[in-house]
Amino acid sequence: MNTAILDPKLAPPFREAVLPVLRNPMLRKNVAHATEVIQNKRARLVAEKTDWEELREAGSAIRTHVLENLGAYLLQFEERCTAAGGVVHWAGTADEARQIILDLLRQENATEAIKIKTMTSAEIQLNPYLEAAGVTVHETDLAEIILQLGKEEPSHIVVPALHINRSQVREIFSRTMGLKDLSDDPKELTGAARHYLREKFLRVPTAISGANYLIAETGAVAVVESEGNGRMCLTLPETMISVVGIEKVLPRFQDLEVMLQVLARSATGERMNPYTSLWTGVTPGDGPQRFHVVLLDNERSAILARPKERQTLKCIRCAACMNHCPVYRQTGGHAYGSCYPGPIGAILTPQLMRMHHAESLPFASSLCGACYEVCPVKIDIPAVLLDLRADVVNRERKQAKRAFDLMYIGLRIANTLFSRPWIFHATQRLGRIGLRLFTAKDGWIKWMPSIGGRWTENRDLRGLPDQTFHEWWAARAKEQK
Amino acid sequence: MRASLFITCYNDTLFPETGRATTRLLERLGVELDFRQGQTCCGQMHANSGFRAEAFSQAKRLIRIYEDAEALVIPGSSCVAMMRDQYPGIFEELGNESQRRELDAFLPKVFELSEFLVDKLHVEDVGAYFPHRVTYHASCHGLRGIHLGDRPFKLLSKVRGLEYVALEHMDRCCGFGGTFSVKNPEISQAMLTVKLHDVLSTRAEFCTALDNSCLMHLGGAMHRQYAAMRTIHMAEILASTEDAPAEALA
Amino acid sequence: MNATVQSRQRILDRIRTATASVAKPAPELRDAYAALPRPYIRRGKKTVEERIELLVERLREYDAEVVETTPDGLPAAIAAQLGASGKHTFVAPAGLDPGFLVGGFDWKIDYDLTTAQIELTEGVVTAASCDIADSGTIVLHHTASEGRRVITLLPDWHLCILRRSQVVETLPEYFDRFETSPALVTWISGPSATADIEMTRIKGVHGPRFLHVILVRD
Repeated sequence: MNTAILDPKLAPPFREAVLPVLRNPMLRKNVAHATEVIQNKRARLVAEKTDWEELREAGSAIRTHVLENLGAYLLQFEERCTAAGGVVHWAGTADEARQIILDLLRQENATEAIKIKTMTSAEIQLNPYLEAAGVTVHETDLAEIILQLGKEEPSHIVVPALHINRSQVREIFSRTMGLKDLSDDPKELTGAARHYLREKFLRVPTAISGANYLIAETGAVAVVESEGNGRMCLTLPETMISVVGIEKVLPRFQDLEVMLQVLARSATGERMNPYTSLWTGVTPGDGPQRFHVVLLDNERSAILARPKERQTLKCIRCAACMNHCPVYRQTGGHAYGSCYPGPIGAILTPQLMRMHHAESLPFASSLCGACYEVCPVKIDIPAVLLDLRADVVNRERKQAKRAFDLMYIGLRIANTLFSRPWIFHATQRLGRIGLRLFTAKDGWIKWMPSIGGRWTENRDLRGLPDQTFHEWWAARAKEQK
Repeated sequence: MRASLFITCYNDTLFPETGRATTRLLERLGVELDFRQGQTCCGQMHANSGFRAEAFSQAKRLIRIYEDAEALVIPGSSCVAMMRDQYPGIFEELGNESQRRELDAFLPKVFELSEFLVDKLHVEDVGAYFPHRVTYHASCHGLRGIHLGDRPFKLLSKVRGLEYVALEHMDRCCGFGGTFSVKNPEISQAMLTVKLHDVLSTRAEFCTALDNSCLMHLGGAMHRQYAAMRTIHMAEILASTEDAPAEALA
Repeated sequence: MNATVQSRQRILDRIRTATASVAKPAPELRDAYAALPRPYIRRGKKTVEERIELLVERLREYDAEVVETTPDGLPAAIAAQLGASGKHTFVAPAGLDPGFLVGGFDWKIDYDLTTAQIELTEGVVTAASCDIADSGTIVLHHTASEGRRVITLLPDWHLCILRRSQVVETLPEYFDRFETSPALVTWISGPSATADIEMTRIKGVHGPRFLHVILVRD
């Protein structure tokens, strides 16, 4: 049973959070398998797309342009969407967004809602809030139903249930859907979900979604999906409520020609996902006749204000970064304590928390750069990670608790060491002598105390050579004279 | 051709043989090499840990030391990446106009070892002899930071006697990441386990790379586990000849 | 709602402050947008024949059944597809060419059918607005001959009549053809699918599980 806490305010620091995961071979196998499958599919398609780098260039430029002019484009979207019959709401915080959505549901006397998967709703913790207010929320994505019925938390933003295997799904479905003879064949499980959901699609008059893109020029909204539950939710009900981060806007319809080429290839390793839907406000006679967009800020404007961090908001939620991350591969998403895991989560989550929580996340990376290499909109995640690390340190170094932190002390000492060659050289000599104590006959160290112990836990260290390079050079220079 | 050797703080202390090999190699190729005794560290450890002010002061020091150098050769790809990727941002944030100008004059002089050989000396066959089975790990900084591309392979392919075996998932991070392995030792170890599996599967005698930080991490685990493999920096392979084989072979 | 009006202002103010040094004033915004780099491929290099071949290949990769015909042969081709389906009741958009409503089947024309009525049909026949060969994508704009969105969603079987002249090679070519955005668009690239259970790709979750295409050489 998964006991992940995906609330950054409550989640344990990364180092602690990974421990139960590292000891879970089944989860690690599932994550490794899933990420490898998508990696390979993506690689094949990227190799085939001869203008891939050009698309990334354009994608990055469009997203940057939008963010730099976000106010103008949001106003344009609001105007056009309203003219087309939609109602646009603005939520400064997660609290406000939840309140607005609940009020809209109450307006409809809605006691139920069907929902398309959206990370934005997880970000504002919408479901528990609505449930507490007496609204039953029916998730309709296969992964999301698995999670909802199994009382689990998502571990990936595109394939949220990848940590759950087929027999676990079988157990969840047979128990909650009352299907005694259900096998663990994925086809049969999917069929069970299709049947279970059909009734809800046809009956529930209110739907909640997110959006992949808002088109400023026309006031349109676009949703990208694979299963068709999105189409169900945005076509059949009478009322549609979409909660969308303010950063999701694109200037023009035409800009989808870039985004739609990179998104599916990055997210699922397909040239195009099965269904992409675009609708503009309300169309008489076709689809929901009441449409609301809830624009969500929730610290995005604060991220926008920082030039180096702004690029965090370019994200189109493809998950390519986490599919390629060697850290994520070993841990899956729960260790990040947020609905946004992996590399993007490591930079987005702490910033959404104003750096008051999830401060361990910027350090949860070896800075290998694989994420940046695959990001379709060229977010330099390592650069933002480094910037956030500096943020954390700049704030913490003045705090009393850090006065006795070995790491802080050690780095301050190291700086002094490096500032004068004679101190550096003297320390090397001292170290050489000191470590001799721990050096075995074969010249290797098997154990060191204190912070050195972190190294020797699983690795040997070759003892310090009798002569540093600079000493060798000096001796040679002397000899040559 | 004149060049100045920046040994890197960890090579100086822990892997002087890499420096000796680099010296031997470059002098054999006719380079007039100098070594400035004032050098210490490029500041990477501090920058990666979020201690930017400290990294900045180390960077300033370093640049000043090499003010009049024609070229720097560095047998450590992560230090080169630090200078190219992080120095500009740090100097933008903490430096003044004149310091930024010094940085602009400094950066074109910086070469990672394989860059110096292939791009500056225009040589791929360095006359090396190393009759062993070798696999190559592409350190992240070398691969994605400074885009070494096929330079390492060009050099390795000309080493006589060397039997090259490709490493599966060659571009996957070894898990060291400097301070990452100290702050998150368990996950670092998990990544190392996975990486080591791939490396040992090559059945090579040596695993090489252009960065001793990765090799220290991999090699330390190999030694602990009595694995039938050792690590060696590529400089030492390239410096190795029949008459003067690599120190590691002694 | 007063609260949301205040929120709106606060958000816009925060955005304005955040982007003060980089935002373009209104008159310059359009130029800045026009100047964005677009170095990617916009126009494909394939001939018409190659384009069609690619489209058919991609559609078949999705397990869609594809047959080609001439305008004269179209009614017969439709009859053949419907006949082979084993189904009898089909929904058709109100604006579908009456020539497509071949005899021998129970046609429900969508003059505002209820959801319950559509649920009782077994298949749907529509035209399309464009087809993108590169990704095997059929694009519906939900015009009179393509129908409301619900009728291509609920039935399990969809026959789509595509015209050769509608086929483009690349996605940017589609956007070139339709510079003015339609109000409703559905891009269909294969039947629905999921890989949510152990990354095993299962086809046909919601929406038509069976896609048949007749490509008319016009």
